[in-house]
Amino acid sequence: MRTCMGTCIHTAIIMTRESGMANISSIMRLLQFTDSTFPVGTFSFSNGLETAAQYGLVHDAATLEQFTWSQALQGAYSDGVVAILAHRAALAGDYDAILEADARLLEFRMNDEARLMLRRMGKKLAELSSHLADSPIARRWLEDIKAEKTPGCYPVAQGIVFAAAGIGERDLFCSSQYGIINMVLSAALRCVRVSHYDTQEILFRFSERIGHLYDEASQMTLDDMHSFVPQIDILASLHEKGNMRMFMN
Amino acid sequence: MALEQQPHLKTAAVPEVDFSKAREMAPYLTEPKAMYVGAPGKHGYLRMGFELDARGKSILRDLDRRVPLIVQQELYFDEEMPEMPCVYILSSGGPNVDGDRYQQDIYLKKGSFAWVSTGASTKLAEMNYNYSGLIQNITLEEGAYLEFMPEPVIPCRKTRFISDTNIVCHETATLFYSEIFMGGRKYYKDGELFEYDILSVCSHAARPDGKRLFREKFVIDPHIEHPRSLGVMGQFDVFANVIVITPKESADKIYERTQAFINDKAGKASLAAGITHLPNDAGLLFKVLGMEPDPVRKAVREFCSCVREAVKGKKVPEDFPWR
Repeated sequence: MRTCMGTCIHTAIIMTRESGMANISSIMRLLQFTDSTFPVGTFSFSNGLETAAQYGLVHDAATLEQFTWSQALQGAYSDGVVAILAHRAALAGDYDAILEADARLLEFRMNDEARLMLRRMGKKLAELSSHLADSPIARRWLEDIKAEKTPGCYPVAQGIVFAAAGIGERDLFCSSQYGIINMVLSAALRCVRVSHYDTQEILFRFSERIGHLYDEASQMTLDDMHSFVPQIDILASLHEKGNMRMFMN
Repeated sequence: MALEQQPHLKTAAVPEVDFSKAREMAPYLTEPKAMYVGAPGKHGYLRMGFELDARGKSILRDLDRRVPLIVQQELYFDEEMPEMPCVYILSSGGPNVDGDRYQQDIYLKKGSFAWVSTGASTKLAEMNYNYSGLIQNITLEEGAYLEFMPEPVIPCRKTRFISDTNIVCHETATLFYSEIFMGGRKYYKDGELFEYDILSVCSHAARPDGKRLFREKFVIDPHIEHPRSLGVMGQFDVFANVIVITPKESADKIYERTQAFINDKAGKASLAAGITHLPNDAGLLFKVLGMEPDPVRKAVREFCSCVREAVKGKKVPEDFPWR
């Protein structure tokens, strides 16, 4: 009987960590936090697409799909890993681990505008969380961001807020990936000659590939984070040095 | 007799090159059928310590090495900076082969300066069982200056390579650290590009007090995601990564003077470069993509010249015509 109790409790913890409570309210919140109208400023960023379109590298649905996938991969093995680890730290009440994940992501992101995006969206989400899924950890973290004790990266904010809202880490990872992919695809509607049908088809196809990324990212540590997108890095630099711009990156 | 009972041997032993925590190398841990991992001749070690002598000349004071790595002595051949010791790291073993391990420790004491390169490209041979690993520790004290500009790395078919570069750099010192990676032996047989098994390259830096600055890591595994993808290498075959850790004033000057560009030849890009700031005001990161190694080497050298001008007020001379 005691063993059964132990197993049940263990299973319950796993349920919370991976799939969340999976009730209607958590699914509603997942949709709310992932929606492109959720006010964290997603629409101001293009993740390098603006310059890629300007230089003709991304010019149709096929090139957009490749470019977006490179972004999704880079995000999975950095932002995705940090979001998962921050979520686990929030559930365990380990505030030091949250600070560590936050600092490490900033140290890993090799681009000024991308770091600006991480911090701006992170702070916005932390501020929003006091109205939505409030938690002592979120409040403390927001105070530390304001006091410039921690950078306040968006994936860390996602980890903290999703944990407080009862959303599991797998759903969080999907939301993180959806956010990155949809940011590029939405920007594409404004700067690449593609239709809504094209972007929706790309998004739909990608959904089948995200599971593998989660399996990998969920086993990674902060030391395992990696990214190899030199072409995107050079485009980001051209954007940073250029003056023609609609988006902030 | 056990090693602990022979303190003289223990002191002389080469540090272990351990990548057991790197999950990406887990599929490549079989012991090679030829010489075992870490066998003499397969475990290179190099320690170089530069410092100012009593007259203020920068010299290679400390040198320790194990085969197959060779450094003979410093030379003073830089025409723009004849006071700078220049060192070529050579390898008597030819390419890096299955199960090779290397460690290179470079130390620059207060105010010293140096230029370090390799005698030829580093070839990474085909591997069937294990991998080849390199650990580097680069330490720069107050006001030190190092240009580390090795020849390109050429990863052959089925090779596996991992490196970890640990940098400790004082706030007032400048490190120019470049790496150039070819896609492979481009003109071998029908062309051999991105046919390797894995390249895992990590560089991270901190201040002497332990304050972390940045950590960059890239893992390229063409079996999982092909580097030809748009956003990764695209149509390019050669990639250079240059880390410049330098005080903010020099970083601002260098950033201002360095262009980001994509060179188009008849609608096809032949060379592209970009520059950005490292996190925590650590310095700059410069990346180049090209079709052939020479234009990429040239871009890296020109960028080094810009760094040297900002920090030392001198240029980098033209490369030797035979290089």
